[in-house]
Amino acid sequence: MAKHKPHHVVGRVTWNGGMAVALLLCVSIAGNGATGQEEVLTSGAETGIPGGALVVTQRAEPKTLNPVIALDAPSREVIRRMTADLISINRQTQQTEPSLAKSWTVSKDGREFVLELRRGLRFSDGHPMDADDVIFTFQVYLDEKLHSPQRDLLVIGEHPLTVEKLGSYRVRFHLPESYAAAERIFDSLAILPRHLLEGAWRDGKLSEVWSLNTAPASIAGMGPFRLKEYQPGERVVLEKNPYYWKVDRRGNRLPYLDRLEFRFVPADDAQVVHFMSRETDILNRVSFRNFELLHNEERTKDDQLRDVGPGLEYNFLFFNLGPVDSQRFPAIARRQAWFRDTSFRRAISAALDREAIVRLVYGGHATPLWGHVSPGNRLWQNTALPHPPQSLERARQILGAAGFRWNENGRLLDSSGGHVEFSIIVSASSSERLQMATLIQDDLQNLGIRVQVVSLEFRALLDRVLNSKEYEACILGLGGGDVDPNSDMNVWLSTGGSHLWSPGQQKPIAAWEAELDRLERQQMTTLDRHERKLLYDRVQQIAAENLPLICLVSPNVLVAARQDLGNFKPSILDHYTLWNVEQLYWRKPVVAGAGPNKGVKPQ
Amino acid sequence: MKQLVLVPRLTTTILIVLHVTILLAGFLAPYDPAMQNRTSPLLPPIGVHFVDTLGVFHLRPLVRSAGRTPDYPLRFFVSGSTYRFLGLWTFRTHLFGVEEPGRLFLLGTDEFGRDQFSRILWGGQVSLLIGWLATLLALGIGLALGSVAGFFGGWPDAAIMRGAELFLALPWLYLLLAVRAFLPLSLPPHATAMILTVIIGIVGWARPARLVRGIVLSARERDYVSAARGFGASSWHLLRRHCLPETYTVLATQATLLIPQFMLAEVALSFIGLGVGEPAPSWGNLLAPLRQIPILASAWWMMAPAMLVMVTSWCFLSLGDVFVHGET
Amino acid sequence: MFRRYLLRRLVHVIVLFAGISAFSFVLLELAPGDFLGEAKLNPQMSPATLAALREQYGLNKSLGQKYLSWIGSAARGEFGISFAYNLPVSKILRPRVSKTLQLTLSSLLLSWFIAVPLGVWSAAAHNGFVDRAVGVAISALLATPDVVLACLALLMAVRLRAFHSANPVLPVAVLTLGALPILLRHVRAALLDVANQPFAQVARANGISGAGLWFGCLLPAAVNPLTSLFGLSVAGLISSSLLVEVLLGWPGVGPLFVEAIAARDFYLVVDSVMLSALFLSGGTFLADILLYVFDPRIRMEL
Repeated sequence: MAKHKPHHVVGRVTWNGGMAVALLLCVSIAGNGATGQEEVLTSGAETGIPGGALVVTQRAEPKTLNPVIALDAPSREVIRRMTADLISINRQTQQTEPSLAKSWTVSKDGREFVLELRRGLRFSDGHPMDADDVIFTFQVYLDEKLHSPQRDLLVIGEHPLTVEKLGSYRVRFHLPESYAAAERIFDSLAILPRHLLEGAWRDGKLSEVWSLNTAPASIAGMGPFRLKEYQPGERVVLEKNPYYWKVDRRGNRLPYLDRLEFRFVPADDAQVVHFMSRETDILNRVSFRNFELLHNEERTKDDQLRDVGPGLEYNFLFFNLGPVDSQRFPAIARRQAWFRDTSFRRAISAALDREAIVRLVYGGHATPLWGHVSPGNRLWQNTALPHPPQSLERARQILGAAGFRWNENGRLLDSSGGHVEFSIIVSASSSERLQMATLIQDDLQNLGIRVQVVSLEFRALLDRVLNSKEYEACILGLGGGDVDPNSDMNVWLSTGGSHLWSPGQQKPIAAWEAELDRLERQQMTTLDRHERKLLYDRVQQIAAENLPLICLVSPNVLVAARQDLGNFKPSILDHYTLWNVEQLYWRKPVVAGAGPNKGVKPQ
Repeated sequence: MKQLVLVPRLTTTILIVLHVTILLAGFLAPYDPAMQNRTSPLLPPIGVHFVDTLGVFHLRPLVRSAGRTPDYPLRFFVSGSTYRFLGLWTFRTHLFGVEEPGRLFLLGTDEFGRDQFSRILWGGQVSLLIGWLATLLALGIGLALGSVAGFFGGWPDAAIMRGAELFLALPWLYLLLAVRAFLPLSLPPHATAMILTVIIGIVGWARPARLVRGIVLSARERDYVSAARGFGASSWHLLRRHCLPETYTVLATQATLLIPQFMLAEVALSFIGLGVGEPAPSWGNLLAPLRQIPILASAWWMMAPAMLVMVTSWCFLSLGDVFVHGET
Repeated sequence: MFRRYLLRRLVHVIVLFAGISAFSFVLLELAPGDFLGEAKLNPQMSPATLAALREQYGLNKSLGQKYLSWIGSAARGEFGISFAYNLPVSKILRPRVSKTLQLTLSSLLLSWFIAVPLGVWSAAAHNGFVDRAVGVAISALLATPDVVLACLALLMAVRLRAFHSANPVLPVAVLTLGALPILLRHVRAALLDVANQPFAQVARANGISGAGLWFGCLLPAAVNPLTSLFGLSVAGLISSSLLVEVLLGWPGVGPLFVEAIAARDFYLVVDSVMLSALFLSGGTFLADILLYVFDPRIRMEL
């Protein structure tokens, strides 16, 4: 029988009854103490073999490890692997499930949540977790002086939710208004260690702690991994959290992996090169050309290359519909007469060849969209919306009826005889949207509309759309938050901050906008899912009829992982590949000389 | 002796042929460069054959057809899409073409099914124009400022030279990125190309200015200049008659260095997505898709613009050698 | 005399720096968009939080105020705080700079090591086969866009299964190939110039030939243009590797800079530009000093 080193808590795979007893003994000998009282979560996934390291690439390095202030995606990706939330959204079922809270009750009006926490759990530094940590966490997130981005998630209507401690392992949340699917709020809200952060918070220095240079011993969380080291510009290495509170069906403590490494590789193609050279094990987002390259390459054709299906992202063309200073931008103000005409937008939508975008820009790995909810959102998509194919005749009909006509050269003229032409701005860093713009330009040429495609640097584009409003049309993409309609409400509400076609307006610019506002607000407070679905179906219908956003496509989620990676279950919700990182394991033991991160080392 | 004049003759010939071909892009290109064929993305070159699918030899070259329709013979002086020559006169005649629905893709197609051969010809117009105009701009500014600095000395000299150092010290990419974001909105693609030209040209004035300054400075000290001054010649006259002619060789050499350099700058900008706007082709944005490894690995015909850029650059550089050393 | 010259040059450099920093600030301020632009797009962030964050980061300060606070921060050795990392910029730049220098110094040494002997050989065997072959290779390399070179190198490495991300061989090779042509050209040209001078003819007449002639007499005489060239090589130590680092994924200043510009991380961008400018002017300054040391004729002129 192999010797067990006292600080390796995780059980081994060799199974028989005797071993199971020895395992329990070992776990308690290892000083975790509360085994008998530790209320672990048993994962229903396939059991695997412990050991090994996993290397993942990121496009940029994380900027901070502080969950309170983290804004950018790479930081959140890494933080998420080191922390845990009270209630999680299962990325496969898209429904909520217990996490640090083992159960909860909801009041009839949906405004009171009483959560029962698991007992006997510890942070990654061994310190016990209880309700005080939860209270502290929400105090910090709601602290107005800290300006945490998380605070906005906890504000419903005008007021934030409140939390009170009912016992050492029980807390009550009180919402200011009814809020549909309220428990989804808790997903990804990391529970913070009071014993490490309270001092800094009282001193007002909480936003400065847990930067990348922090010593690993000062950081703790409830997630499957904890910080091991950081090499600037190269990698962040996480090691297994020995106190992680999930076990597999055989009682082995998760995660299986010893080490999780995030490597920073800025260019997409360089990431694929790393994967092909077997330096990294997972590709979280692959372009379709690289996907096909991997299929054809000798070294990678047997790896797990998956097209997970349409994701939540939606790409769209929209026009500048909001008020524009006609002194400063006379041309734009003049052209808005066309943009604001719903018939004009309908004609444009009818003239677009969405199939070509799917075929040429995404190689078939995308879905055409006529509404903003993609088929990947099975729970909420309004499947009754019409999907009219490209039809130039219909477009011409609509334009003709709206007062437009064509001259002898085929150029489109408006009712006062001016040539119809405009510009579309696109981000230079998104080659897909640039290609969409080229296709759209060609499509509209067939209608006699001359379109300029202007590629701008992303920030410059955002500045034009959100601040200076100096643009005519734009192609952007959104999505990837959550399947629930509440997550992109601010796009559709007239007063919303992401109300792209007319940001910063005070009231609706048309009757349909007012209707959208009403429906959105209503669905937010409706608790019955069936009723909500009807309301949201209507939202989608109004959006599809009035076309503030002319939706184009939703790209499929393409991922890749090594052949031997077990429990690989990519999903369309963020994080596509690592959401179940604690379940991932290597199927085969390591072969000598096959590289630094292969499989299990036999002990 | 024959060998000594071979290289300059060769390079000048190549350059002249290149420029003439590109000037006649509209005539020589079988298709409009913006015309998309959405069912034929990334096709390898479809060549002409003399033997048809049935094995019969024809004198007139033809394009093989895939299906049961007869092969398409190559026709000359066909009427096709309209194009403008020098932006002034409109024509419809193309040197060669095939009847619809046959397609002649001599150098394959890009991701939208646009004919690369036509795009390379038209793209050459943009790239060469950018190279020439930016160079003229840089040399013009450099000449003006450098001669002022060299001739008048004193504080104009100090100010201009510090300014030149500033421009040389700033990483040019950063400068370009910063200025590119200010572009006004409703510009047709060729206007963006002009703005690009201006930006690249302005960024590059510093080195020619220093060289011109050096020459004007030493020319100023010559005896005949002092003599002329003694006779009452004005500064402007002195500058123009006696100092500037000394600079012409240097300017010519600089031109042969700058034109390829600016063409390469346009390629680099297109690689990061900030080059000439769609659908106008330029050699830079024709090469931009090569940034994706799968395309680089499989669509070898897309490298053709790179060959042209290299040949053009090489010709200009060799010419420069001739000026500098008076040798081949 | 020399000391006065040095002092004058130093003053020039300082003035230049002030100019560059001011220029950078102005340019970045004029560029549309700021650090929180992307956060503004996020449907889950409220305008109130954004406004508060803007205030916190000091994005609402005027240009003059930003400049002054940067100077104050520079005096403390921090050189501003990065918005993204929430750390002093100096802490972020230090490890990246050493990584970049690893590449560029290796490539500098390698390219000079190859260029000098090859240049001498080329000049000595003037118009011979070697000379022509080298000339063609130079022109071919010079005419290739750097970006295409880097992509081709990457593809080759992958096909040959020789790609390792931590291995500096590939980036150094690409950088050297990029720098070599110009260097070779200038070395060769300088040597040829010197070879036609009267003293060279005298040396040849006196029977000095071969390696002794070229390395012993002519190379030292060509020290003037060569030192200026060396200064230029040093000048490019930070800026020349930017594109290569980004394309090949080397963790140097390049990818940091590009990301910082895209994110409008104000102080990080300005400091990277200053660093680059530091090397650029430092290089020319170094060249001037070396010239003074190596070339007696300069000493006489001064």
